[in-house]
Amino acid sequence: MKIDMKKFAAWFDDRLALTPIFKYMTKKEVPQHEHSFWYYTGSSILLFLFIQIITGIMLALYYKPTLEGATDSIGRIMTEIPLGWLVRSVHSWSSTFLIAIVMIHLLAIWFTKSYRKPREATWMTGMMLLVVSMVFGFTGYLLPWDDLSLSATKVGTNIPMAIPVVGKWVTQFLRGGGDVTGDTLTRFYLFHVCILPLVIFAILAVHILLVQKEGMSVPLKDEIAKKKVPALPFWPNFILREVVIWLVLLGILLTISLMFAPSLELTADLMAPAPEGVKPEWYFLFLFQTLKIFPANMGPVTGEFVAVVLILIAVVAIFFLPFIDNKPEGKKGKIIQYLGVVGLIYAIVFSIWSLL
Amino acid sequence: MRKIRVLYLLVMVSVVLAPLAAVARQSGVPPTVKDKAQIEAAVAAQAAPTQQAKPAPAPPAAKKPAAKKAEVKRTEPIVPAYSGIREKTAVIVFYVWLWFSIAVLIYFLRLWIKEADRVYKAKYYEPEESPRKDNPMDPVLGD
Repeated sequence: MKIDMKKFAAWFDDRLALTPIFKYMTKKEVPQHEHSFWYYTGSSILLFLFIQIITGIMLALYYKPTLEGATDSIGRIMTEIPLGWLVRSVHSWSSTFLIAIVMIHLLAIWFTKSYRKPREATWMTGMMLLVVSMVFGFTGYLLPWDDLSLSATKVGTNIPMAIPVVGKWVTQFLRGGGDVTGDTLTRFYLFHVCILPLVIFAILAVHILLVQKEGMSVPLKDEIAKKKVPALPFWPNFILREVVIWLVLLGILLTISLMFAPSLELTADLMAPAPEGVKPEWYFLFLFQTLKIFPANMGPVTGEFVAVVLILIAVVAIFFLPFIDNKPEGKKGKIIQYLGVVGLIYAIVFSIWSLL
Repeated sequence: MRKIRVLYLLVMVSVVLAPLAAVARQSGVPPTVKDKAQIEAAVAAQAAPTQQAKPAPAPPAAKKPAAKKAEVKRTEPIVPAYSGIREKTAVIVFYVWLWFSIAVLIYFLRLWIKEADRVYKAKYYEPEESPRKDNPMDPVLGD
């Protein structure tokens, strides 16, 4: 039987309305200037998200989210399932790459001030994506249910306790009780594979829609000077360049995953004391160190309370940054840019300090 | 194009380094499944005399292996490793193939990018501005 491909394609086009999308892609243009390279970080995030989904599904085929089965099932993935250790390693490293690139993407937007009007909502959804990515990492860290992950989760879920009014409730909700137990593991697994993917897809859809609606931003100085910035067609010129970046990143990811595959520590013992040198994932290190430098008591309140409140204020301020920096070309805009540099240095120094 | 050239250079360097990296991974061979099984067997053997000293009733034959397995507690972290020479070879071959195909793909993508940029600069797909469109003497327009 001969299949008429033209009819087949027309049927799809009719049902899915693909022609307007293709037309849009051919008409869409990407500005070309000295900061254009940062545009590629956006699509790289999508690449790592895709890898996370694929490897995550592969791991979920064998993982058992129970107190008795969690560590053993990961042990089985690493020792019995063909190339299971490599899939786990790619999943673990890909999450690191994903969060690192989300951070680089946001920093690039901060320093180029691309969050300015009319892209405030794009920045805010981007911040939400960063937070969701970090929660993904936090919930995934417990799943191997080994000594280190248990202790790190105990420390991590204890932090919200210092939040005024709702802190105790948040901690109890995260743990599924007063302490980290098997219920916490089941809860974290549910968040990791069900709730967070739904949340990230919803926010991502809005984010991409906003990027398409407002288009890519041009440098501030060009916008002020009303200079016409040269552009490149999205298809095929920009997409082809993106593919080059994706290929290189894919190669680097696989190289690192092969050379530095994570091991599996001993099964967590709920009754055992916390092991020495408990550290969270790298992206929480500076927050961890910030909490450590505060004294136990600061007058009528605890040091942890002051630290958590300060961190919350900083997060809220960054979330509403486009509204705070409402005149990016002025003096306030420059101060905010310097604050970004100071914040970056602070995060790097405190992360290194935490590792020492 | 300079950035693309730098990336291409990076990939080519990686192609050279990839087999070296794979070999380096081979040299520090961590315990494999077989080794893990040996460790477990050694732990079980150590625990055996103590179990023998206890005058406990013998469990049913069918349940015996499962009960023995549950008694063995892992004392060493599991280090990721190849499960055998077959898997090791497959991974190294895949690794070299991956970087080689990335290098080849980037080579062709560079050509494609160059061509796409040339076509764009030549305004090939833009509607043509015909110098004769308003000319009433034009034979085509005249029709």
